[in-house]
Amino acid sequence: MPGIYIHIPFCMAKCRYCDFASFADHADTEAYLAALETEMALCREALPQRLYDTVFLGGGTPSVLPEGAVSRVLEALTRKFRVTPDAEITLEANPGTLAADKLFEYRSAGVNRLSLGLQSANDRLLKKLGRIHTYAQFLESFRLARETGFDNVSADIMYGLPGQTPEDHLDTIEKLASLGPEHISAYSLILEENTPLYTDVTGGAQSLPDEDAAYEMHRQGIALLEARGYRRYEISNFARPGCESRHNLNYWNNGEYLGLGLNAHSALRIGEKWTRWSNTARLSDYIQACGSGERPFAGEPQAIPLAEEMFETVMLGLRKTEGVSDAAFRARFGRRMGEVFPKAIERLEKKGWLAEADGFFRLTAEGLDFQNLALLEMM
Amino acid sequence: MAYDRKLIRNFCIIAHIDHGKSTLADRMLELTDTVALRDMEAQLLDTMDIERERGITIKSSPVRMFYTHADGKRYMFNLIDTPGHVDFTYEVSRSLAACEGAVLVVDATQGIEAQTLANVYLALDNALEIVPVVNKIDLPSADPERTIHEIEDVIGFPAEDAPRISAKLGTNVADVLARVVELVPPPGGDRSAPLRALIFDSIYDNYKGVLCYVRIKEGSVRAGTRIRSMATGAEFDVTEVGVFMPQLRVTDSLEAGEVGYVAASIKTVSETKVGDTLTDVANPAREPLPGYKHINPMVFCGIYPADGADYENLKEALEKLALNDASLSYEPETSQALGFGFRCGFLGLLHMEIIQERLEREFDLDLVTTAPSVIYKVVRINGAELSIDNPSNLPPAAEIDYMEEPMVNANVMTPSEYVGTIMELCQSRRGVFIDMKYIEEGRVNLRYELPLNEIIYDFFDQLKSKSRGYASFDYELKEYVRSDLVKLDFLLNGDLCDALSTIVHRDKAYAKGRAVAEKLQEVIPRQQFEIPIQAAIGGKIIARETVRAVRKDVLAKCYGGDITRKKKLLEKQKEGKKRMRQVGTVALPSEAFMSVLRIN
Repeated sequence: MPGIYIHIPFCMAKCRYCDFASFADHADTEAYLAALETEMALCREALPQRLYDTVFLGGGTPSVLPEGAVSRVLEALTRKFRVTPDAEITLEANPGTLAADKLFEYRSAGVNRLSLGLQSANDRLLKKLGRIHTYAQFLESFRLARETGFDNVSADIMYGLPGQTPEDHLDTIEKLASLGPEHISAYSLILEENTPLYTDVTGGAQSLPDEDAAYEMHRQGIALLEARGYRRYEISNFARPGCESRHNLNYWNNGEYLGLGLNAHSALRIGEKWTRWSNTARLSDYIQACGSGERPFAGEPQAIPLAEEMFETVMLGLRKTEGVSDAAFRARFGRRMGEVFPKAIERLEKKGWLAEADGFFRLTAEGLDFQNLALLEMM
Repeated sequence: MAYDRKLIRNFCIIAHIDHGKSTLADRMLELTDTVALRDMEAQLLDTMDIERERGITIKSSPVRMFYTHADGKRYMFNLIDTPGHVDFTYEVSRSLAACEGAVLVVDATQGIEAQTLANVYLALDNALEIVPVVNKIDLPSADPERTIHEIEDVIGFPAEDAPRISAKLGTNVADVLARVVELVPPPGGDRSAPLRALIFDSIYDNYKGVLCYVRIKEGSVRAGTRIRSMATGAEFDVTEVGVFMPQLRVTDSLEAGEVGYVAASIKTVSETKVGDTLTDVANPAREPLPGYKHINPMVFCGIYPADGADYENLKEALEKLALNDASLSYEPETSQALGFGFRCGFLGLLHMEIIQERLEREFDLDLVTTAPSVIYKVVRINGAELSIDNPSNLPPAAEIDYMEEPMVNANVMTPSEYVGTIMELCQSRRGVFIDMKYIEEGRVNLRYELPLNEIIYDFFDQLKSKSRGYASFDYELKEYVRSDLVKLDFLLNGDLCDALSTIVHRDKAYAKGRAVAEKLQEVIPRQQFEIPIQAAIGGKIIARETVRAVRKDVLAKCYGGDITRKKKLLEKQKEGKKRMRQVGTVALPSEAFMSVLRIN
């Protein structure tokens, strides 16, 4: 079933590695929320009706919004769109921005899943990343979340950080696992151009762990998470059985989703056509477009040709440890995956990167490590 | 009717790069109303983009002007602009041979440079009258009097009357025109004698075929004349003659003493080379004009398309460039590492760079070039002699008796404070010191004998950086001498990569092998297995580095449904992979081949 993503482009401070659309200046908050509501109305009119079963408030840091704002956004959303009663409604929150009042508000607004940005249990590393919080503040936020009744909590951690050792990473996992969140995302840091961290690293002010050390964090991290009962279900995502992120699984199944807000991306079948578009990444353009009753597109929606849609389905599906269901592929495209990519599949199987079992094509542990190279074979 | 020969002045301008040759030419065109002001584009005579950007002239572009002198007479000026770089010495000498005089422009802030001096000597060899001019007097650091003394000391002719000008501002440029009339003699030559026309340049025109730029030394030529190249014997029917205004203008005839062009449906410039003499088939001259030389390329490198699919495009581009450049040679070659490409020969380094740049810019090609090489002479044990311009063709060491390499005589002019560092540079390039002379207080001329293979890549750049841009450099080929040369090879995961092989002096092989191996280790991306990089002389490994195996290649995160970003990254990766060259089991990026060059 389709999902809805809502982007909240505000943060307390910009992290040094971040190149997302987010701002530490909150002067436009009210104008943005108004524009967001207008965009919902515009989409409601323009798009075919769907029943949505996940909502994800991401950012930025949605938890920096002033009191009442999250309720307002979710109320507006459910007035305009049909959302199932048991929908997974996730809100991204950062330690240092949460208080009990806010958490109660989220609960009563319908939020039933929290995604907390921990990144590391090491305060020295947090500081290097430009995070505003300490590990102690994360502990406090986590405790509050539990106290206010959140029984589905995820935490993000990162590895390959400047000055980080494999021991640091394992220590973070160990500490986090002992708290028992339902879900853990462990991302390797991606050094993006045009970020302060990029300047730090290229200028020599900070240095990243070498590839071998980063790989050790990755390998040992996976082993430890699995040992603590978190099953790896996607390249960077781990969950207690049954607690996988439904919203994200929908992306990886190349499902439909509607993105609302600044720089949000959408994929919906419109008529027969698999269609993608994204919203402008400029805050002033976004507010202005919505204000004048126009959809805030970054460009014209693109009808994706069938061959690309098939490739996207594989590209995303092979991120899951379960792989791509041949039956689902066939149901969607009328052809089996093996017919569409016969040579690539043969080469990848020979390499030991891909295996077919129980009606799924899935990457092996090694294949997951080289997913990019595996996909190149299919392009 | 033929122009009164006494009123003709044929001259060129000699100047160092940036000393203001093209600017002065522009001012002359303005002063003589040859080009309306509104049509002026700065440095009009330099027609190629690369020339404008580098401030140098590659193709000589003649222009005719009319100047009314103080004596009330109207003089015809033929200004022949000359190439300004050491690679084109022969072309310069032929341009000079087309003139009776040369305006010598010296920058009043810089003084005489090595290149200028070399060209002044060439002009004196051709018995040209020199008109010295001191330029850039508008600059605060200008010292015109000192510059004039330098001209007198170094070149040895009086220069106290030299016009002090600012070509940029137009100051005193009229004096230069007057001096040309007064000092440069009118051309001689018998108009009724058999035709002898000196080709000093030629360009290919899409409509007219090759245009030979000529100075008529004797006789005359007109449309319909059947002409013969005295160097090749090839014959052509002249379809058109004309002059440069600076646009082409058709005339009835060209007479002895005049400068113009001859079109004769000639298909490539290599049929009528610079220095050749054209004569009239019906009334041929007995002897060609002196000075013709067949010019052989001195520097060679392999040029390959970065994308193998561009081979045909590269071939066409080289064909087109060769139409206009008789000194560019190319022939197909195959490299195991790089596939199909061409072995190209050049007059020198600048020529090589210009051709590479034009291929990339004008023909939009991505190229991989191998390290430049000179021609080595190889004498086998059995006495047979070979010329080698590609290290891959070198016979096994056991079959070689000895090898010879070309040496040059180099002049370096520099402010004296850089003498120490420049001597170190020359020494490190196996240079043999000949002598050092003070040109004047604070400026020195250093003479070195240097192996050509030591200066064909970055010597000039090093010289410039070590002297903060002040040193200038000129060289001439001297002779071949015996040398202890070895072929330095590189093996990747055990496989020889032919495109990385170079011929180097044994004393430098170890350092170079180590440096290149280190560089390769940096530029070769990690692959799924460990790659040993070995430098070898014959069977002996002299350096080793390792590229560790890649551990992981996967995008950590798909951002909030933004899959276009991931797709773009994959497409970029695929594009990069397509451009990799496969050497045995190892994929190499283009930069790897350049790394052999970029070693200090």
